[in-house]
Amino acid sequence: MQITTRSADTTFTLALQGRFDFHSHREFRESYQAALDSGATREIEIDFRGVDYLDSSALGMLLLLREKADALGKQVTLAHMHGMVKQVLDVANFGKLFNMKG
Amino acid sequence: MPPLKILIVDDVAANAKFAEAVVRHLGHVPLLAGNGEQALARFDADTPDLVLMDVMMPVMDGIAATAEIRRRPREREKWTPILLLSALGEVGDIVRGLEAGADDYIVKPVSVPLLAAKIGSFARLIGMQEQVRGYTRELEEWRAEAKRQASLGAHVMGRLINPEALRDAAVHHFNIPAETFSGDLICAARTPDDVLHLLLADATGHGLPAALSAIPLAHAFYGMTEKGFPLASIAKEMNAKLKAFLPADRFVAATLVALDINEQSIEVWNGGNPAALLLDVGGGVVQEWPSIHPPLGILPPALFSERTETIAYQEDCALLLCSDGLVEAEDTEGRRLDRAEWLAALSPAGPRLGLERLHARINAHIAGTETQDDISCILARVPTERRQAPRLGAAEAGREKAREVSEWRLELSYGATELRYLDVVPAALGLLCQVQALQPHQGALFLIVSELFNNALDHGLLGLDSTLKGTDGGFEQYLKSREAGLARLAGGRIDLRFRLHLSDGGPALDIAVADTGAGFDYAPYLKGDGNPLDPGQAHGRGIALVRKLCASVAYTGRGNAVAVRYLV
Repeated sequence: MQITTRSADTTFTLALQGRFDFHSHREFRESYQAALDSGATREIEIDFRGVDYLDSSALGMLLLLREKADALGKQVTLAHMHGMVKQVLDVANFGKLFNMKG
Repeated sequence: MPPLKILIVDDVAANAKFAEAVVRHLGHVPLLAGNGEQALARFDADTPDLVLMDVMMPVMDGIAATAEIRRRPREREKWTPILLLSALGEVGDIVRGLEAGADDYIVKPVSVPLLAAKIGSFARLIGMQEQVRGYTRELEEWRAEAKRQASLGAHVMGRLINPEALRDAAVHHFNIPAETFSGDLICAARTPDDVLHLLLADATGHGLPAALSAIPLAHAFYGMTEKGFPLASIAKEMNAKLKAFLPADRFVAATLVALDINEQSIEVWNGGNPAALLLDVGGGVVQEWPSIHPPLGILPPALFSERTETIAYQEDCALLLCSDGLVEAEDTEGRRLDRAEWLAALSPAGPRLGLERLHARINAHIAGTETQDDISCILARVPTERRQAPRLGAAEAGREKAREVSEWRLELSYGATELRYLDVVPAALGLLCQVQALQPHQGALFLIVSELFNNALDHGLLGLDSTLKGTDGGFEQYLKSREAGLARLAGGRIDLRFRLHLSDGGPALDIAVADTGAGFDYAPYLKGDGNPLDPGQAHGRGIALVRKLCASVAYTGRGNAVAVRYLV
């Protein structure tokens, strides 16, 4: 999986590309660490536009990020899900845990 | 790097002395042999790291000795380099020596710097070989440890899945593990009043980590079902347990089901699993319970919702639960089966739905692929015919007589606030069944106490009309009114009194339940022989059942107090 990051005002965006699964662990952690460390960031947005697959360990990584962001008073938003990714997040009812954005 | 043991094989003492001096100078340990035969003996006894081998020797020459060394069994584990020392005119010997297994050669007369450089180069190779051997050994140890852990996990999961309980005639299931054993947990058990509870849980990961989260789930499921706790309380307890000790990235998708054949109702809690499906006898979908909660172990207890969805059924049908492995199973071309396809595989050729055919269909679909995820399915038959008699424990069937009892009394009293959230019946039964004489009667006592208590709560305090249950869609409406009534219950009280004593007819448990409600006209319910299986009768079955189990049943006052005697 490829991750590109960008930051505008108080929003730090991680744009993901490819398969989000067990193998993405280190990259994902390294990318969100920058967002957690940035004092100006209030919202961390995960952009799923380029993701066509995600497994349960990816859900686990999102929960871990959510826990860390919560502790720092930052919000996590999941954005631009489609297809199978949207389905998996819906079945897990992640809408009750995260901000969701079309 | 530690010094090497270097075996010097030469029949000419001067040559051997020379080589020995070089070896010592380089800080290694020389071993000496005068011909090929001696060389083999020292090779076996002293396990050298490197051999300097002369070619022309009496008894056994260097080439024969080299070939012999290469045939030694320990060569398979550890390679020992052999350096041939040979005169210039013996090119043919050098070739034969290399073919016999030697690694390099030096032309005599031997130059000190060249010999030193060659020994240095072999020392580096031997060092690398040692390192690789070290990694390999470590890897083997890891692999053995992983195997031990996997078999521990398999053992634990095997015990948790409890095939005994899954042998229930109404339940069929299959599991296709992605690795040597599955991370999916399938459980079935019955409450004391014969409600069938099912659990299909899919933990993140496989192996030991999955087993780790399955342990508290199975524990709560079997323990609380056995005591007759409702589904919502079990879901709540499971979530609290997992949340308490799992890290944030570990969770368990789960479907919990309560199948009540006597009430003809199905209750489902689904967090994170594919929809539970109610199928008619032709395999058509009658009802779906999609996931409406996040999986277990994510939300803290204060935010967790134990809300279940209940429906009543009128026709013979079957309930299908599956893990996402079924939905996401891909064939060699990455194609998935859509729901219509796998439902078609279930549809009957004969009189009933066949899980075996779905199992075969899935296996054919994933043939040749590496299974990505555990695949689990449960199919439970949901019959409309009610049981002929309550299923009671073995001791109850045999009516084992209690030995001596001294008098024992217990009084419980609940007001509105506690009634709103407490599971009164399992709690009371927990206290009753601490008394040894009552333990074998748990099933019957559960039926009696829950019937009397539920009447007091539903009709006495909440004023619900049980004739509602018999109407179309009435059961769901009944449950809704009950939930709403309970939520706004402001006053009232229910008293339970238990007295175990020696009566004329032997040891007896007197149970009295009284509520502060308006009571009801009980006379019609106490007429006749009290056959609980009166067909078409959707209410009043409970009282009839209590009459069957008890020696006496007496209502008093306006019908808001009842006293029964159960012979132990």
